[in-house]
Amino acid sequence: MSIEDDEILQGFIEESLEHLSDIENDLLAIEESGADIDVELVNKVFRAAHSIKGGAGFMGLSVIQDLAHAAENVLGLIRSGKLIPNPDIINVLLLAADELQHLIEDVGNSNNVDISCHTNALNIIYEGGEAPPSGPKPERSTAVVPQPELQPVLEEIESSLPEQETISETFEDITDDATDDDLVEEHEDDTDSVSAVSQDAGGVTRTRKPSESQKIDTSIRVTVSLLDQLMNLAGELVLSRNQLLQTITSGDMRNAEAVGQRIDLVTSELQEAIMLTRMQPIGNVFNKFPRVVRDLSKKLGKHIDLTIVGKDVELDKTIIEAINDPLTHLIRNSVDHGIESPEDRRKKGKDLRGLIVLKAYHAAGQVVIEISDDGKGLDGNMLAETAVKKGLITSDQAKLMSEKERINLILLPGFSTAKKVTDVSGRGVGMDVVKTNLDQLGGSIEIESEVGKGSTIGIKLPLTLAIIPCQIVMTGGERYAIPQVNLEELLRIPAAKVKERVERVGDAEVVRLRGNLLPLIRMAEVFDIDPTYYDPVQEETRSDRRVNIADRRSKSTPLFKEKGEPPPSPPTNSSQELHRKSKERRLSASSALNIVVVSTGAMKYGLIVDRLHDSEEIVIKPLGRHLQQCQGYAGATIMGDGRIALILDVSNIARMAGLTSLDGCERANELAEAAKDNITKTRDKQALLTFSSSPLEQFGVPLNQVERVEKIKRHHIEEIGGRRVMQYRGGSLPLISIDEVASVMPLADRDDLLVIVFHLAGKDVGLLATGPIDAIEINTDIDDSTLKQPGIMGSAIIAGKTTMLVNIFEIIQISNPQWFEDHVAYGEIEIDKAQAPTILIVEDSNFFRNQVKGYMDEAGFKVLEGEDGKIAWSVLEEHGDEITMVVTDIEMPNMNGFELTEKIKNDKRFSHLPVIALTTLAADEDIARGKSVGVDEYHIKLDKERLMESVHRYAKSAMVV
Amino acid sequence: MAEQSISTKNTIELATFYVGDALCGMDILKVQEINKLMEMTKVPQAPDYMIGILNLRGQIVTIIDLGQKLGLGKAELSNESRNIIVNTPGEHVGLLVTRISDVVMADPDKIEPAPANMSGLQGGFFTGVYKTENKLIGILDIKEVLRIESENLGRGMER
Repeated sequence: MSIEDDEILQGFIEESLEHLSDIENDLLAIEESGADIDVELVNKVFRAAHSIKGGAGFMGLSVIQDLAHAAENVLGLIRSGKLIPNPDIINVLLLAADELQHLIEDVGNSNNVDISCHTNALNIIYEGGEAPPSGPKPERSTAVVPQPELQPVLEEIESSLPEQETISETFEDITDDATDDDLVEEHEDDTDSVSAVSQDAGGVTRTRKPSESQKIDTSIRVTVSLLDQLMNLAGELVLSRNQLLQTITSGDMRNAEAVGQRIDLVTSELQEAIMLTRMQPIGNVFNKFPRVVRDLSKKLGKHIDLTIVGKDVELDKTIIEAINDPLTHLIRNSVDHGIESPEDRRKKGKDLRGLIVLKAYHAAGQVVIEISDDGKGLDGNMLAETAVKKGLITSDQAKLMSEKERINLILLPGFSTAKKVTDVSGRGVGMDVVKTNLDQLGGSIEIESEVGKGSTIGIKLPLTLAIIPCQIVMTGGERYAIPQVNLEELLRIPAAKVKERVERVGDAEVVRLRGNLLPLIRMAEVFDIDPTYYDPVQEETRSDRRVNIADRRSKSTPLFKEKGEPPPSPPTNSSQELHRKSKERRLSASSALNIVVVSTGAMKYGLIVDRLHDSEEIVIKPLGRHLQQCQGYAGATIMGDGRIALILDVSNIARMAGLTSLDGCERANELAEAAKDNITKTRDKQALLTFSSSPLEQFGVPLNQVERVEKIKRHHIEEIGGRRVMQYRGGSLPLISIDEVASVMPLADRDDLLVIVFHLAGKDVGLLATGPIDAIEINTDIDDSTLKQPGIMGSAIIAGKTTMLVNIFEIIQISNPQWFEDHVAYGEIEIDKAQAPTILIVEDSNFFRNQVKGYMDEAGFKVLEGEDGKIAWSVLEEHGDEITMVVTDIEMPNMNGFELTEKIKNDKRFSHLPVIALTTLAADEDIARGKSVGVDEYHIKLDKERLMESVHRYAKSAMVV
Repeated sequence: MAEQSISTKNTIELATFYVGDALCGMDILKVQEINKLMEMTKVPQAPDYMIGILNLRGQIVTIIDLGQKLGLGKAELSNESRNIIVNTPGEHVGLLVTRISDVVMADPDKIEPAPANMSGLQGGFFTGVYKTENKLIGILDIKEVLRIESENLGRGMER
């Protein structure tokens, strides 16, 4: 294999592959433009083919040369306008380019490959076109000195091999019979000088990186400027080291600090620069997809356009290489399964041409790749059905799954939905392989899909694999790192709440987190570490003798006994003792639970650790051979103090703990019944900002009404013209305090004040308040009678304190009535009492319903009420004619807002009614869902101004009609 | 056996050390360095004979408790404990020994095949024994020591 090692040959291979990677896309572009030939482009392809031919001739690779020659002939015809490229011709050319690529990748055997089918096809086209091309170039080129980049090589050879007679002779010899491999071998002694030349030659061509190929992935091209930068930094580092050594000998502490900083700086810069050398544009992978899509869609008889966005996004070389296969699979899937046949598309009234969008962009320190198609989408129910049929899940499980979970079933191993196994996909290798591949890269995959509209597959990838941000945790006296990509949130359950929030189902522990149940894994248990806990008072780690997190409760759980798993600790006496101890401890800070909520893409779980440390950027080091068999680690890293921390592999830990997404969902169901009341309670959450005005009273205001909170000093307040104002963003901000309107205690006489800025009626207004402020979520257990007064809409008990809820609208209205007069915000309409529009308010919470009703009454509308979707529907049936619009909550018992809206919109009698949704659920997907069922407008609870504005708007248009 | 494993050199230098009370030796050319114990990081789930990993100038080195590997029981860390860092392809591995002894010049011809069971040690880990005037040195088969026992695979999967 001496030929393989030859640097010249290697250079030829790299260059040729680079040319070929361009040829493909250029050919597609030529095909696109059809008769309207872009001469530049054709020239480029022609030159590429020509260079390959020349190089191959020089190397004695006759087969490659012949093929390139035949392709070049055809291209020559196209260039001179004598042949109009049609898809067939381009097809032949593309196939030839593919063959060339194969040949070049396996250069050693290329001369034994039969390429007659390609050359024949090309020659037929060539002969079918006009007789010999007028441009003599193709004819001549066999004998002519090849492209410029080989010229220096020739000269070098000439000078280094004086025993050769003349170089041109040699060259002609080779090109004539083109099999003189010996030449290459003879030159081996001169490899060094020749290789230098070939590198130079490489530098002459553009600085694009070589296309990916298994054979040459050991080398990488780096721009010279980057290398210079690296050299500079290395020089700096050496200087700094010298300084450091000097300071150490002289013992000059002050200087040492400066040097330390300098080294810190240089090192980070060096790190960045070195990372850059590994970065490659994702275009290297993306560029091959136009071809993939074209070929496949042709084969399947579909018309598909591919749009690529974000080719310039750069990723680590190793990642680029590794995502190639998964991406290809996904693209093929989209073409094969996603986009429907033209016939189906016409039936559905879609554009005959399907569209696949491949997009890459940066988001939150990661690279996101999205593949979306406007095809038929994934049917969650069908997927669930298939999964049940294949025995991957039980039908009970399927029932419990959300639509998104069902769609993500496709990622389970052994799942392939293709009805027939096609050449394109469905060869048993499915999405699960894609997922596994991405998992290995530390990436994640998420599928979103809507039946009939298409699907979007989102892949998140880290920028690089070498350095990753990690959360450091501690368990059993050792530190561990959890990659930030897997990290969802950190949760600390105070000692007093542990019993309340952690429950045991079967042999699994779960924690209630915002209404959902999260399975818990004790890290010490999975890894067989002696359980310990950290005592923050004594600042030491002690061993823990508790058996369960919520031990008392779990002992009495019948499920626990049924499992037949004897409690690991002896019962009765000793356990009583244990109880006493744990009770004491539970109230101390040390028995709080530190939970790292991690996500593996498919599922989330909580990992219980002893302590949480900082987040750090760490360098991943591989573990030795002996530790490969340990499942829970992704590697190791060296911490600042020189010790090693292991990096956890969260998906493997889940597996080790016997946790799967489905199990989690099953467990969640067991608790769901018991927790239902709680969950319904927590559903209608209102985020409040709590604050004080006087030290004794606490107030709350809906957080979404608040623009900003400013800290000011008392002397910032100016009293001018009988009003209080302060300077704010270059203007005057009017200030009011609650006691001006409501009969509450006066504003505390303090120097440090808070100004809560609201935006109302087109103006900013500041509410004076004092701390402490806090943002909390409360249930809508609001008492709207006891403490109601002007400016106060009601009260609620928050953290053991009665809190008055401020109605900022009312306060402003009372203190500055002229504001609302000036501000004809709603395009106020004359409301005739007799024919005032009737509005149906659907809301399960009394408080909100009364609140909204109040607004409507005030504005002069008639109001009908419904406590949930079902009742609202019957009201609609009864008073259908009177009602002009529906304002509905989303989260309601019996029939929720989405269902109600859907029902209204699908009923001929009511479909004209505008539906305004009023909700605390303002996530994008909720809004999207609302839109899809026909919600006309979305409002966040309770933004009176916006709500009234749109109510008026709809009322007006209804009246006009 | 002994003749085969030792080349035609006239003498070889053996680095000798104690594992428990047993005197063992290995070709000094296979030793990269010997260092005092540094702070080791335990690796939960790892096989028993692996006592941890440590940071050797930026490289992660797996430390094997030679005593346990040879079936002599857990090593107790003391002032005299040392890590012998052995250079193997692809990685460094450290062997924790009870204490270091001398370098012994050995005549390859005098190395005798290891008895199947020498003073409680498993014979499989030795290529031979070398007798000096007053001591018997067991010559370690480093390859065998570093071979991975696959039976420990999947320990973590039990749960």
